[in-house]
Amino acid sequence: MSKSKEELLKALAEAVVEYDEDACKELSQEVLDNPNTMTPMEAVMNGLAAGMEEVGRLYDTHEYFVPEVLMCADALYAGLGILRPHIPKAEAGVNAQVVIGSIQGDVHDIGKNLVKMMFDVAGWGVHDLGRDVPLEQFVEKQLDTNSEVVAMSAMMTTTMLGMKKVIAMIKEKNPECLIMLGGAPVTKDVANLFGADGYADSAGNAVSEGIKMIGRLREFQASKK
Amino acid sequence: MAALTSKERVIKFFKKEPIDTMPVFSGMGTVVIQAVKEMGVKFAQVHTTAELLAGSALKSSEMCGLDAVVVPYDMATVAQAVGCGLTLYENSEDILYPTVPNKWETLEEVNIPADFMKRARMPIVDDAFRILVKDGRFAVGAWQLGPFTLAGQIIELGLLLKGAKKNKEAVEAFLTKMTDIVIESIKHYESLGVDYLNIREMGSGTDLLSPKMWNSLIQPHLTRIFSALKTPAVLHICGGTDMIVPLMNQCGADALSFDQKNTLAKTREVVGNDVIVLGNFDPYGTLVQMENPEDVKTVVKKCIDDGVDAVWPGCDLWPDVKMDNVKAWVNTTREYGKKRSPVIGRI
Repeated sequence: MSKSKEELLKALAEAVVEYDEDACKELSQEVLDNPNTMTPMEAVMNGLAAGMEEVGRLYDTHEYFVPEVLMCADALYAGLGILRPHIPKAEAGVNAQVVIGSIQGDVHDIGKNLVKMMFDVAGWGVHDLGRDVPLEQFVEKQLDTNSEVVAMSAMMTTTMLGMKKVIAMIKEKNPECLIMLGGAPVTKDVANLFGADGYADSAGNAVSEGIKMIGRLREFQASKK
Repeated sequence: MAALTSKERVIKFFKKEPIDTMPVFSGMGTVVIQAVKEMGVKFAQVHTTAELLAGSALKSSEMCGLDAVVVPYDMATVAQAVGCGLTLYENSEDILYPTVPNKWETLEEVNIPADFMKRARMPIVDDAFRILVKDGRFAVGAWQLGPFTLAGQIIELGLLLKGAKKNKEAVEAFLTKMTDIVIESIKHYESLGVDYLNIREMGSGTDLLSPKMWNSLIQPHLTRIFSALKTPAVLHICGGTDMIVPLMNQCGADALSFDQKNTLAKTREVVGNDVIVLGNFDPYGTLVQMENPEDVKTVVKKCIDDGVDAVWPGCDLWPDVKMDNVKAWVNTTREYGKKRSPVIGRI
């Protein structure tokens, strides 16, 4: 007997929380096999992503640590790989692009990859530059893609200073591009000091911060008309 | 009575013997850009020869008024020596620490050459230590990454972290190999006559691993390392450590070092007054960002009031320090640190 919508969404979320890649794949296929139950987009947002929100809560309460979070992310991606090709472009979520990378000198990318995943899930167009990204590459990619947001991460205090330069370089060429910073040594104060438009203190916050930033930009653009 | 020399002060400190005042030093890099500029070189160059490495360490400690010198500055020496390459950023005008560009992607393919201590920049670091020990004015500190953090320099960190849960035996075996490397290199530095050692296992804090995993995966290897050492040895972890202080205290280290994320007053309560505790100011926030040296004094005094035996920065100094702030760190420690600390008495 096929599951109800609620049962299926709950099962998807649990599969993410329990980092069960096989279950995520099977359940995602079940969604596709029962198109009357829900759309693939609903399964992504209210199933997989909802599971990841719970994972974020478990991380914040020190029940889950990074190994578990990474495994949950793998499970989410396993499901997303099955569902994403079936989501019509128009329905795919926020129509926005983000250029993302770890700043030059920083070879850590776990946090960046988790933020990237959240943007992926939310349907953003994601341009991942990887790690140890030369400063000018952020600028070049932003100009190339005309992305609304550039998201930079640094894991070490010794590397985050490059972010200030990138912000200045991008703002000079494209003042309307929004810059988001994140990473262990980056605080809201540092982000403000460097001239960033947004700051994400966690992967979970990165997307909502990105959406807020775009909201502010659209208000500003509307006020200029 | 003649004041102690810097070297004497640090050596007696680690022996828990009475000293004249709190030493000012670190177990992590203390190179400052002012010293590098005075030498007429770029930051990227100081990692490349023994003379520049030792020279910049000596000049930095002279300029800052520190009691010790520590080399090397970057975390890529061993990874480079075992074949992971090096990105030196020699064309950059900015301060960029060398990094490791090529990590192995599976545990199975990792191949550690038996003579890694003779490869890449390892001999340069050896010669730098010889210069520093011969100079004799400062205590000489050597450090090595702990096995888990070192593993993260050689293989993809995500692989290691997920492997800690999915493939525990393989990760365990790999960490045993890493522990062998750590012991070989740090005992080698012991033989060169350094005065203290620091094992930096900063990849293992609770920002990443659970205390339960730390207990089973990290602690046994650290315990093996500390039991192999004769020279005073510190265990340093930056990041989240409040939950693992008791576990860290069981590793056999002669001292524990923390960064600004640690609730140091609570840590002192937990470990008691027989364990040397070092820390714990934010080196960037304090020595680089603060506009007023009086604020630095407040930070330093708080560290002392919270119960440190020496005021260490929580990580490497960011080289672009404000010298007035450094002087405030040094002078406040010397003055406010004239009273005994929890473990170390005063002459």
